[in-house]
Amino acid sequence: MKPKGISLVNWLMLLPGVGFILLFIGSSIFLTLAQSFGLFSTTGSSSFTLENWVGVLTARESMDSLLFSLKMGILSSVGTLLTAFPIALFFRKGGKGKGMLGSLIKVPLFIPALVASFLILNLISYHGLINTILMKLNFINEPLRMLNDKFGWGVVFIQIWKNLPFVLLIVMAALASVRDDVIDAARNLGAGYLSILFRIYVPLAMPGILVSMILMFIRAFGDFPITSVAGPLYPASLAGRMHIMATLYQEWDQAAVLGVIIIVTTFFVIWSYSRLAGLVQGEE
Amino acid sequence: MESTPLHQRQARRLKNFYLMLTAFFIIVQLVWVGVPIIMAILWSVVDPRNPWSYPNVIPPSFSVEPWKYVFNYTNIARALRTSYMVAPLAVLLSFLLSLPTAYVLGRKNIPGKKIFMLVILLPIIMPGMVVALFLSRVFTSFGLSQTFLGLVLAHTLMSMPYMIRVMTTSFQAIPQDVIDAAENLGAGTLVKIKDIFLPMIRPGLLAGMIFAFTTSIEEFNLTFIIGTPTFETIPTILYSFMGYNFIRTNASVVALLMMTPNIIMLFIVERFLKSDYLAASLGKM
Repeated sequence: MKPKGISLVNWLMLLPGVGFILLFIGSSIFLTLAQSFGLFSTTGSSSFTLENWVGVLTARESMDSLLFSLKMGILSSVGTLLTAFPIALFFRKGGKGKGMLGSLIKVPLFIPALVASFLILNLISYHGLINTILMKLNFINEPLRMLNDKFGWGVVFIQIWKNLPFVLLIVMAALASVRDDVIDAARNLGAGYLSILFRIYVPLAMPGILVSMILMFIRAFGDFPITSVAGPLYPASLAGRMHIMATLYQEWDQAAVLGVIIIVTTFFVIWSYSRLAGLVQGEE
Repeated sequence: MESTPLHQRQARRLKNFYLMLTAFFIIVQLVWVGVPIIMAILWSVVDPRNPWSYPNVIPPSFSVEPWKYVFNYTNIARALRTSYMVAPLAVLLSFLLSLPTAYVLGRKNIPGKKIFMLVILLPIIMPGMVVALFLSRVFTSFGLSQTFLGLVLAHTLMSMPYMIRVMTTSFQAIPQDVIDAAENLGAGTLVKIKDIFLPMIRPGLLAGMIFAFTTSIEEFNLTFIIGTPTFETIPTILYSFMGYNFIRTNASVVALLMMTPNIIMLFIVERFLKSDYLAASLGKM
């Protein structure tokens, strides 16, 4: 058994890592929260007020940005997962050429998000490669608007391109834990491909699926650079709107409200994840 | 086990099918990954006197003019210097801060461990722009905004989740028997650190350092808010080239400058390491 004194040493050893993160992240969360209610305000007068909240929640732009960011978060995470899952299944069994394929797929993981946006932008811009090829083949008469489009497909495409390997790695690790015996047994008992997929692979890989979807959602939901480069002219992403509010209009208090909305959504998603993960593990 | 000829034939057919499928996927991936990169390379060598525009699928003529232009007339050299000076410092600092924490999280049974593991992920879970904007307020009150130290601290903060998580995983992987045996043979704390812990976490440490380094090189939100305009790094320069003054050739040069070292470094490291470090350390929250 450990002597009692060690416990204090352990806590002290936690301090450099956990403390450093808590100090900076904690203080910025606190400041965001306080400023959204008018406390610690930059403008001098600091008193509790709900004005900023009313101001943001009644502004059309903010609500549009919120909906847009939610949409991007959901579409990016679902899109990446749907692309990654079949590839991950294919990778379960080794074979010739898989090593090379694996390294190829991983390349975007090493490419920074901004560079990825630029690379994809060259393809999907108005006079980009895809439009040029489609027009040469006479599929379309005039270029398609894929970049800065109203819906935000350009952003979704960049998110999928950039994050596919990341999600793939996590889902592959989750699928690796599915034993071949289980599949063989199911097949012997007459299970078809679909029921093996939906009743064995998907449930057993569920923890990995959930984590990757959560991380993807958070990234796409809180994104600033990709949306500001490839997103529609209006609305901005929620983070983009917050940035404009703070730096352009100097409305730090309203920016703080937007910040709180982003943080609360993020934490809510993580909380639901932990509930869901508990449910998934509880079933076993 | 004996197999019937029919069985063999089926197996061979299945194998061939898988090979073809692999080949198909490789081609798809070559296009999916290769074409965007080739486009960027082509754009970076377009001759400014003979611009590349709509009907041409390939630039009409090539030159190194864009590269010369970027190095002579933009701040790229300084940004490169800043980026590659901040990154090693941030890696070193996050290593020093992470080591004791990762040891405790990996080897000790402490109450609330799950919560600590979540807290550590906060910098990558929290939306970058929110942290950047309000951390800049905190930094301003400490006098750290627009300073080199502030930049290093911000980058350290962003790289610590990877560092701590990966190192925690490698600390966990050390078998307790080895430590017990060493203790039985009279090893003190220093000997244990030197002969057991450090050698056994070395692969994880290397992986953590590489992840931390690339995180720092890529970091955009915090640098953009806390560093600009005093300090520019490669990502903020690229962002400015992709914004209002969008010059595709310049942006291509910077994009290539930014991603080439990253790709080389991570591929080299991957040869030496098991690639599942990232998945192992981030696969559960």
